[in-house]
Amino acid sequence: MSTPLVAAATVVAVVLIVLGVLSTVLRRRTGIAHLAAAGLLELLLVAQGVVAVVGIAGGHRPVELATFVAYLGSVVLLPVAGVLWARSEPTRWAGTVLAVAAFAVAVMLWRLLDLWEVTRG
Amino acid sequence: MAEAPGGALGGPAPEPTDATADTARGPGRVLVAIYGVFALAAGARAAVQLAVQFDEAPVAYLLSALAAVVYVVATIGLARGGRSGRRTALIACSVELAGVLVVGTLSLVDRAAFPDATVWSGYGQGYGFIPLALPVLGLLWLRHQSEVADQAPGQDDGPATS
Repeated sequence: MSTPLVAAATVVAVVLIVLGVLSTVLRRRTGIAHLAAAGLLELLLVAQGVVAVVGIAGGHRPVELATFVAYLGSVVLLPVAGVLWARSEPTRWAGTVLAVAAFAVAVMLWRLLDLWEVTRG
Repeated sequence: MAEAPGGALGGPAPEPTDATADTARGPGRVLVAIYGVFALAAGARAAVQLAVQFDEAPVAYLLSALAAVVYVVATIGLARGGRSGRRTALIACSVELAGVLVVGTLSLVDRAAFPDATVWSGYGQGYGFIPLALPVLGLLWLRHQSEVADQAPGQDDGPATS
């Protein structure tokens, strides 16, 4: 895990939360801005996933390795699931769906960082 | 780049007509999203607990697994909608509300029985009390949807096909 990557992903997630809530408040559907933010978030999460897998392959062993891997897989899927679930929603609530997904990503990322830093060594 | 109508935030959203019942439309879609996140997180956690460290706290981990199953069932029920979907979700949300109240109370009274927190410990304290609010919102939404369905008979034969 890389703390700068987690921080960057958190910033993008917060941007996505704001965009999502904004479009709900303004009674709009989701647009290209939401897609761009979600895409960037997914990119950062995949990069983070690669960093973590390389670290594990290189001998880094979090105490709760199984939980870590399960959460890592979940967090990478979340923006994709959020976008799919939001795109098929014609009402203004699509934005809130994205905000929920982005919020969950942000929370899970910091939980992942905690899990990563607790090792037996 | 050509500006899309309504700008980058997307075009104006149509107001929901509310004539047909659909538990996965409008605010319901947000509810399904939150339930989905909890199903995913609780499921991942319960799977690990049962597989790796079951002997440490069997009761707590079995409750985690039950919570995960309830979240999965509620997510599916709300997402499918229709009469059967609503009934499934109603049962799941009721079990969930009972679970969070019972486990929340027990975890405060008898801390020794819950050495490792479940989703429902302390009324969902570790998760911003969302586990306590979620079944209440779910039951209110289901009641509203049932009322809508009762006013528009014949359009409620099964899961939405969209």
